[in-house]
Amino acid sequence: MSPGVDPLERVFRGAGVTGWLHAVDVDGGREVGLRAGEPVVLASVFKLPLLLELHRQAERGLLDLAGLVRVPAEGRTRGGTGLAAMLDDATLSLRDLAYLMMTVSDNAAADALLARVGREAVNALLDRLGLTETRVVHDCRDMLTSLWEDAGVADQSDVTQACADPEVVARLRALDPARSNRSTPRDMTRLLAMIWRDEAAGAASCAAIRRLMALQVWPHRLASGFPFDDVAVSGKTGTLPTLRNEVGVVEYPDGGRYAVAVFTRSLSTAQNQPRADAAIGAAARVAIDQLRTHI
Amino acid sequence: MDLVRHLGYFLVVTEELHFGNAAARLGMAQPPLSQRIRRLEEELGMRLFERSSRRVALTEAGRLLVPEAREIVARVERMRDLMADLARGDAAVVRAGVPADLGAPVLAALIAGFRDRRPDVRLAPAEMGTAAQVAALLEGRLDVGLLRHPVAADGLAYGPVLVRHPGVLLAEDDELTAWATVHLGDLAGRELVLFPRDAEPGLYDDTLASCRRGGFVPTAITCTDRAEFALGLVLSGTAVAFGAPAETPGVVWRPLAGTPLAWRCLPAWRAEPGPYVRDFTAVAVRVLKESAGMVDEGAPPTPRVAPRPATGFLA
Repeated sequence: MSPGVDPLERVFRGAGVTGWLHAVDVDGGREVGLRAGEPVVLASVFKLPLLLELHRQAERGLLDLAGLVRVPAEGRTRGGTGLAAMLDDATLSLRDLAYLMMTVSDNAAADALLARVGREAVNALLDRLGLTETRVVHDCRDMLTSLWEDAGVADQSDVTQACADPEVVARLRALDPARSNRSTPRDMTRLLAMIWRDEAAGAASCAAIRRLMALQVWPHRLASGFPFDDVAVSGKTGTLPTLRNEVGVVEYPDGGRYAVAVFTRSLSTAQNQPRADAAIGAAARVAIDQLRTHI
Repeated sequence: MDLVRHLGYFLVVTEELHFGNAAARLGMAQPPLSQRIRRLEEELGMRLFERSSRRVALTEAGRLLVPEAREIVARVERMRDLMADLARGDAAVVRAGVPADLGAPVLAALIAGFRDRRPDVRLAPAEMGTAAQVAALLEGRLDVGLLRHPVAADGLAYGPVLVRHPGVLLAEDDELTAWATVHLGDLAGRELVLFPRDAEPGLYDDTLASCRRGGFVPTAITCTDRAEFALGLVLSGTAVAFGAPAETPGVVWRPLAGTPLAWRCLPAWRAEPGPYVRDFTAVAVRVLKESAGMVDEGAPPTPRVAPRPATGFLA
């Protein structure tokens, strides 16, 4: 690799992915970007604006976050984590559904919440916040259904097998920003910065959202770039065949806090690509190091 | 001729303006005094007095010589007094212990600063580690010292605590130089070159504890108090070192993220401080701030672990 290559590009290419990134100092406004204004597929990152609208509706008294919701096993959106993988009926509060949606990216919890909040309400909020590049066009179930249809298979387990085929992956509508839940890296860091500055909603709501993002369990993407006890990493991942995303905030012990949004797409269709996962953290550290250079 | 002594005779005559009275005051006869003044005039090539039968008066050259002569005589007397004090062993000397890694510019600034403040007192600095300074202070072999924190010794009193946060020194081809800021944990797998534990037991243990806490357990530790030797190990890529930026080509300095290391320094003296300890402490605190990058210790930040679900308990 030639030494003149952008260090962010070097990280992404070394992991066999194309990367889109935006990082911004939450308090200072300095920024670093790579294709930061291009449209990207959110995948499960759309659960973050959904969570924000949930809290704003609670602030207006439209719903009670502690109110219990019954989520029957029958007809639940499927997935590999949380209620989406559980077998029996469940009853839990809206805010505990939000916990599962954010910390293990539970698809069933997300669809239950989106049904309650309303997809257009989320988009209206995004408009009010000026995040006009960001759209929620379908819930998890519709997105998964489009995968089955495009792959020409009957159910989720067959999708997993079919998506190892590059020709199948090439025709998935879910991977096209124009036809899927979408945003730009720049829109996502604006949203994160508003949440961290208590501007996206009331202070208590923003604090609750930050709490859930800090409780996300995955260590392999954004957090892997900051394996330091005194650095706090909060985030939300998104994953689809060949897509690996994470948006979040990295907080340094000296008080510096940086919103970063990283979206990647791999050439390989292999589902296990730890180097591609780690590239998200590595690229984020490169970007944040640049933000901190001229303090 | 003994110029200083002759200037002394000259000054007595200028005060008396009478050779007889001046000779009496000096305890000598008049003719030898007159002869010595003439020899001084020959030496300087100028007449210093207008002599008549009735009176003695200074010439213009004599008037100009008076303040010069006074200064020369006074300074020579001061020098003799100082030497005499030294010979008797009760001279005005401050014996001060200073850390080995203080650095030439800081040491020079310390000595010059003390000389400006107390020109009558000689500063005798001794390069010593904290352990040796504590022993020397308690035994009365030092009047004041600059100790590295943490230190605990009964019978000593302490001045203000100053702190600086060392960065890391790396070989320029070390991959970590790509970062503007390096985390302690990034150093994992590397060797460390550090000051000797027997010289600085408190700071040595404190530094390694902070390293372990930050994820850096050196694969080997080489101890030296020679800065050049330590830089050689860094330059060769053998080890990393902590400290201030070095001017050595091939060695790159990077700050440590979150300033996990705090190297503190404080003046100390026996519970009954000697007369010039206050002067030394004031000068040392100013010089360490101006020349060694140290600052007053504020409330030290408490190291804090940011919990993560996947790396915490029972995950």
